[in-house]
Amino acid sequence: MREKPWYAVAYMFGITAFLSFLIIGLARVTAERVRMNEELAIERAVLQALQLAEGKTTEEIHRTFVEKIEPLPGNDNYRLVENGSLAGYAVRVAGKGYWAPIGGFIGLKPDRQTVIGIAFYEQSETPGLGAEITSPAFRRQFQGLELSPGPQPIEIRPYGAELERHQVHAISGATQTCTRLEYLVNEDLNRWRQSAGGEETR
Amino acid sequence: MSPNGGTLGTRQIVFDGLWHNNPVFRQILGICSTLAVTNLVLNTLVMCAALTLVLSASCLTVSLLRRFTPRNIRMMVQTLVIAFYVIIVDTSLKGYWPDMSTALGPYVGLIITNCIIMGRCEAFAGTNEPVPAMIDGFFNGLGYSILLLAIALPRELLGMGSILGFPMPYFSTVWDKWIIMVMPPGAFFTLAVIIWVCRAIKPREETAA
Repeated sequence: MREKPWYAVAYMFGITAFLSFLIIGLARVTAERVRMNEELAIERAVLQALQLAEGKTTEEIHRTFVEKIEPLPGNDNYRLVENGSLAGYAVRVAGKGYWAPIGGFIGLKPDRQTVIGIAFYEQSETPGLGAEITSPAFRRQFQGLELSPGPQPIEIRPYGAELERHQVHAISGATQTCTRLEYLVNEDLNRWRQSAGGEETR
Repeated sequence: MSPNGGTLGTRQIVFDGLWHNNPVFRQILGICSTLAVTNLVLNTLVMCAALTLVLSASCLTVSLLRRFTPRNIRMMVQTLVIAFYVIIVDTSLKGYWPDMSTALGPYVGLIITNCIIMGRCEAFAGTNEPVPAMIDGFFNGLGYSILLLAIALPRELLGMGSILGFPMPYFSTVWDKWIIMVMPPGAFFTLAVIIWVCRAIKPREETAA
């Protein structure tokens, strides 16, 4: 019977159906958790970009987010409201990385010029090289930057170069990631600047 | 037919997987992932755990199904079984260990293409009883893990000055970090040296094939 052509087809069909059934089951069970994890990653990145996540547990992060963060129109960017007054913005910076999409937030003070910090909720760059954009050492460089008013609000310069107020050092060995990060950050910052004009009058 | 065909003792299966027939330096299988995930020790550890799990489970399943699987579609069935376990691992990581899932990125999915798994399913599990097949899978996974760690430790130490992310004395301060060690060429150099050393310790016996 094993040699009959219909047996091979039926066997393959049967085993595929069975294994798919199990996988779909598992996916359904974990779907809610996966979605929550993704949302939490975004909330954590927003708060990290605004320097509010330090030493907080996941629960505290969620609570702080609900308390202090308001979405801006378009749902991409957020603003931080503390004691009833505006205390900062979290601008979503997202786009193509070297291997896969990079997504993160840049925190800005209410003056829209001074950077509070940067954080990422999504990236699949090379571990040890491009993925170092998530390391504290790289991210710390962004704290206190003054955005340049030109078309390049932030620039990533080669390691060792002398820096101006809107520039940071790149990661050696991760040129592609840094080039793309610079591009996507500037693209989104420029877009936010343009749209922020309308929001000012609210 | 198969070099392992028939009645191997457990002891021999264990030592074959770990050393005599080690998948990495003896069979030169699974080199793609050996090169890709060994620049940080933590990623390597989780990758090895995932691979060992998938390998043992796949070998067990393929062995259980071996009497029902028509020979001409056995490879399709093996790929399906392997993919099934990889997706399970991937989904579980996403749900319950999201940090590690992001750190490993696409590598978990790439376990499917790891030649060791298909190699062991085809060479051993397809012709042996379930329990020896699972033991074989497990120890081949362990043999792979040991080699990967042997490559990952010097790469992270010399390239980043740390081990498991902890800065090491001397290497994180005085040592001028060899960035090339954490880049792809570093993997080639280290792998070549390790294969060289291992084969020097135990030269290939050119006996009856």
